[in-house]
Amino acid sequence: MLNFDWLRGVSPLAAKAVFLGLFVLSGLLVTMIPKEYIYEGVESPRWWHNLKLWALGVLAIIFTIYSIF
Amino acid sequence: MLSGIDYVVVIAYLVGIMVLGLYFARFVRSADDFFLSGKSLPFWAVGMSIVATDISAMDFVGVSGQSYRFGMAVGNFDWLGSMPAMLLAAFIFIPYFWKAGLYTIPEYLGRRYNDHVRAVASLTWIVFFALDLGVLFWATAVMFKPLMGWDPWFSIIVTAIVVGLYTFFGGLTAVVMTDVVQMIIMFVGGFTVVVVGLYHAGGWSGLTDKIAAMGEAYQNHFKLILPADTKTPFPWTGILFGLTLVMSNAYMIGNQAIVQRCLATKSVWHAKASMLTGAFFKMFIPLLVMFPGLIAVATYPGLQDGDQAFPTLVKSLLPPGLRGLLFAGFLAGLMATIDSILNSTATLWTKDVYERFIKKDASDRHYMIVGQCATVILLIFGVITAPLSKSFPGIYVAIQTFLSFFQGPVFSILLLGMFWPRATQWGGLVGLVGGIGTSVSLYVVKDHLFTIEEPFLYISWWSFVVGVLLNVSTSLLTRPHSEERLSGLVCRLPRDLKGGSEVPAC
Repeated sequence: MLNFDWLRGVSPLAAKAVFLGLFVLSGLLVTMIPKEYIYEGVESPRWWHNLKLWALGVLAIIFTIYSIF
Repeated sequence: MLSGIDYVVVIAYLVGIMVLGLYFARFVRSADDFFLSGKSLPFWAVGMSIVATDISAMDFVGVSGQSYRFGMAVGNFDWLGSMPAMLLAAFIFIPYFWKAGLYTIPEYLGRRYNDHVRAVASLTWIVFFALDLGVLFWATAVMFKPLMGWDPWFSIIVTAIVVGLYTFFGGLTAVVMTDVVQMIIMFVGGFTVVVVGLYHAGGWSGLTDKIAAMGEAYQNHFKLILPADTKTPFPWTGILFGLTLVMSNAYMIGNQAIVQRCLATKSVWHAKASMLTGAFFKMFIPLLVMFPGLIAVATYPGLQDGDQAFPTLVKSLLPPGLRGLLFAGFLAGLMATIDSILNSTATLWTKDVYERFIKKDASDRHYMIVGQCATVILLIFGVITAPLSKSFPGIYVAIQTFLSFFQGPVFSILLLGMFWPRATQWGGLVGLVGGIGTSVSLYVVKDHLFTIEEPFLYISWWSFVVGVLLNVSTSLLTRPHSEERLSGLVCRLPRDLKGGSEVPAC
């Protein structure tokens, strides 16, 4: 049990799908964050203050890396 | 040995970084300035500083050595091992800590649980950081010896003086701003090796073709996800449960050296943005530390020791001038880690131990001086203990193992403390101590329990699980805390602010 023997039948391809799913889920959760929470602490918000875009950008990079390799 | 122009590059780097660090001394007038830069730092500086603090010269050698042996799977530590955790930190934990006006993570644990938990967490970090300092100083000496021909003690003392001066006078601001420059130098030096190495390997297609032609043993070298029954330390199960769910979160949310600089940002938006900036730059780290190992597989197959991959590339591929630049990059990585450890340990000692247990209600300036004295004492301790690495070659691995013992348990009490109001002070203490005990026990009998080489990912996961179970069971058996006591400490409980209240968004 300590070695996760029960997951040995899962192929690396299926495992990759789990990780990619994790990135997609993270992205979905990020999009659900309230706007006022994202801009908290900014006096005059501009589009580039939108931290959701930053997070989605980084998620897109890591999603691409894990899709390829 | 380096050539004349390389010496010029290295000495210019040392002098430049000291002058830059000392420039920021003019902004330090109080403990708040020394430990938290007067809450004035911009997101970009903190984001870059997080990366510089996280990566040291040992990563260049160690990670490229592991990628030489096991392939790209080692890159998971900087990709999966950072990204989800940094998002969680950016949007939930860091803003919460920032708004609470914290100096340290153990301070949160003390408020949420009790002073015993705070003391255990703080002292554990202090011991880890103090021992790590000696190892880092020795690593500097080992780097200087073959390239500059300097005596080890001379190298250690030069590094200690340069880092010590700007950390002592400039506090966290000097640490973060020098980290920015150091990260840039590290990136330039690291990318130089990769670009020149790829050119020699025949470009990307040349690299992949050469490694693919090396036979069955190298078929997984370009795969990030390895099967659950791999004999390497990186099965996907360990990467998911141990690294992604526990170790990375514990590191990005519970590590004082990482979190402290986010707490020093000028607004809560900057605090969140700093973590995301760090996440962006972290995406490039595997290119710098992992690719040299893969390039060495193609260009210098058959090395006895994987850790020779990076030095071999540098020695054989880089011309004079560029070697000096890379050496400055190495040095930058080491110094950025040393200065962060110095400042964070001084903060832990001053805020969690001295101010809490030795002298309460002293002046702000008094605590600043205590922090500066702690910096000097730590520096001396680091210098004196540096030769231990020579006497005990396994000390670096031992210290990293020691860190892995308490990452799972610390994350378990942070998580339950933040999201489960029913967690009590005794639940936290039992969870923390019991979780650490579990880590140590599993490590002692690891050869009988685990089938993979160095099962630290599995140990982190199971110690986290035990920490959660002990915390939950003990909490349910002990008296719950009142809502007033938990105000502002648990997600979704209102925080009292001078008569008013603020509902946290998490």
